[in-house]
Amino acid sequence: MASAPPSRHLPRRDDAARARLAAVANRTRPVTLARERSLPVAGPLGELLPGAALTRGTVVRVDGAPGAGATSLAFALAAAATQAGEWVGAVDLAGTLGAEAAAAAGVALERFPVVRLGSDAIERWATVVAALLDGVGLVLAELPRHARVGDARRLAARARERGAVLVVLPTAAARWPGDAALHLVAEGGPWSGLEPGAGLLASRALQLRVEGRGAAARVRRGGLARAG
Amino acid sequence: MGPERTLALWCPAWAVATARQEDASLADMPVAIVERGPRGLVVFAASAQARAAGVTTGLRRREAEARCAELVLVERDPAAEACAFESVARATEPITPAVVLERPGVLTFPTRGPSRYFGGDDALAARVLETITALGVSDVRVGIADGVFAARLATRRAEPGASGPGASKSGASKPGASNVVAPGKSPLFLAPWPVVVLRGLMGDSAGDALTSLLVRLGLRTLGDFAALPAPSVLARFGTDGARAHRVAAGLDELTAAPTPPPPDLVETCELDPPATRVDEVAFVAKELADRLLDRLAALGLSCSQVVVEAETEHGERHSRCWRHEGGLTAAALATRVRWQLDAWLTNQASDADPVTAGLTLLRLAPDRVVPATGRQLGLWGGDAAAVDRAERVLARLQGMLGHDAVVTAVIDGGRAPAERVRWVPWGEPRDEPVAADAAPWPGAVPGPAPARVYEVPVPAELLDASGDPVRVSGRGEAPTAPAHLRSDALPGGSGAVVAWAGPWAHDLRWWDRITRRRRVLWQVVVTCEREEQVACLVAVEGGHAAVEAVYD
Repeated sequence: MASAPPSRHLPRRDDAARARLAAVANRTRPVTLARERSLPVAGPLGELLPGAALTRGTVVRVDGAPGAGATSLAFALAAAATQAGEWVGAVDLAGTLGAEAAAAAGVALERFPVVRLGSDAIERWATVVAALLDGVGLVLAELPRHARVGDARRLAARARERGAVLVVLPTAAARWPGDAALHLVAEGGPWSGLEPGAGLLASRALQLRVEGRGAAARVRRGGLARAG
Repeated sequence: MGPERTLALWCPAWAVATARQEDASLADMPVAIVERGPRGLVVFAASAQARAAGVTTGLRRREAEARCAELVLVERDPAAEACAFESVARATEPITPAVVLERPGVLTFPTRGPSRYFGGDDALAARVLETITALGVSDVRVGIADGVFAARLATRRAEPGASGPGASKSGASKPGASNVVAPGKSPLFLAPWPVVVLRGLMGDSAGDALTSLLVRLGLRTLGDFAALPAPSVLARFGTDGARAHRVAAGLDELTAAPTPPPPDLVETCELDPPATRVDEVAFVAKELADRLLDRLAALGLSCSQVVVEAETEHGERHSRCWRHEGGLTAAALATRVRWQLDAWLTNQASDADPVTAGLTLLRLAPDRVVPATGRQLGLWGGDAAAVDRAERVLARLQGMLGHDAVVTAVIDGGRAPAERVRWVPWGEPRDEPVAADAAPWPGAVPGPAPARVYEVPVPAELLDASGDPVRVSGRGEAPTAPAHLRSDALPGGSGAVVAWAGPWAHDLRWWDRITRRRRVLWQVVVTCEREEQVACLVAVEGGHAAVEAVYD
């Protein structure tokens, strides 16, 4: 691209004035360090995270066996982002993300676009995630089976550069080949409400382990009572 | 200065007329055109017989069929409507060159010249009626008033009984009607209309919001609304509200006089080789529309009227003007260009100046531009910037992966979790159901929503204590209890059922022999290899079990 595309919504007749305005905005902008810019996470999940927030520009790994609650955990992080006014993009490999559960977790569905990547387009996974990192504040990406180390490194760099959070959600046979600032592991928990032949599924006490680098180095464990 | 005196021509139930033209067997049948809306298929237009049986616009398909047993339902095809309406537009051209299409079935033009030529508004209206009914159009309404908005409302008051002798349409000699509002009397004419008619002036949701707010404030008619002082309306309702206020008062929609756009805004594209089919040109049209609106936006302008021009290999030139209330978007403009091209390329037999060769040139010229009062970015790039960024990226991904690959979810009614979510391609209207409309769904799966919902259920085996598959009788009762579940969706592949609820029998579409489905759902909690509990939803249909959803 030779020059930046013109803004679609604002007249750009006087570039000089805009440049001066940008300079003023730069000078008067509240000073923030990149690692201090964060997405606050409320509730019991926030108490388990260092600083009760996700740091922008980092990679967050969410792990857990099928049924252990990893998806709900990822939705909780997405909800924190949409509640902060951000957009959240999801990459769904098998078309299995439950939108109703996402809405119940607090995700604003109109700001929650989902990219459905069929098995025929799986080799474009890294391109799609990179594009999403450009456009939204938090990307919820399911990992394909053959995620490469180089891709992981590039995506982490892209997230850092754009100030977006990349949440990777491993599927059955895939691991995130890079490192992550934060590692959340859902360890399941007992379900309550349902009995043999009676009752209804009501809620579960989800056990959770948080580990990571820096401020998150100390392993924290906690419970997360949640419906679903 | 008041608004320009305008004639509006409206063919009621144009969609029905088009459907009948396409399929002659519908001629004597009651017909309803249905459109897919947020509440499923709803009636968009109905023929006279159907209306007599009580079928009205906005009715759901089921109710419509209940009211009129022999009703034939036809799905709406706006492209075909636009194509058929081209003949009406052409017939109007000898009367005035300044025809403006609003949508299929409605066109307008300023009357200043033609009215003087034909000897007054009444004579002009009669002349237009005569011309259009000569084409075989069964029902035409003509309205003349000050301004497009008033003229369009005037067509609605044009009663066939007023000018035609008989009430029944079959024997009437004049199948049309006209209504002329005297010059300067438009504000009086507008005053008694309910504010709901303002809805079309802006986008659907914005229009709904404004009109419902006005009603709640006790302003039920346009007259009430117009009586408010304009500065207060601007302060309370913003620019959209101010525009609606001007229209309600019978003033011109635009505060500043529309300036003729500078000539360099015209977007042109040469087609080589010449195009003879619509789909060849449609792609170019989309690109032209995007380019035009981008350049207008860069100048801080938006555009409410566009002239579409085409040239052919034989040097013929065609042009048509399209207007859209509330400003044209790129998608809306591209659709209209497509309709117009469709009309020119397929409707050639019966006309004086047919398109005899492929199109070599396509040109879009903005006819009426106004200052854009759209969004303002925050000083540090606020919400609007985030929306902009996301929209750009999602459009790019759609270009890369296909239109359907980028979706957002809308929660709708349904019983099973998979039925409750509708995925809407990015950029299409989300049509969120109104909370008050939410119907109860008896038999819906209760409890928390599962975080993993398999579109293609994962095959499973649900076994009882003795190792046989759990059976469910025709009455939806299970003689044995589930004890074991085997499926790839579980960690380790299998587990012991420790708690369950069900079976819940779902008899789907029982009224249709072919698509009828009977199935039961079980909600189970399974303990897998490492003593972890997994909750899932298992469906059994035709003796085969499958995991539908996992509470992950």
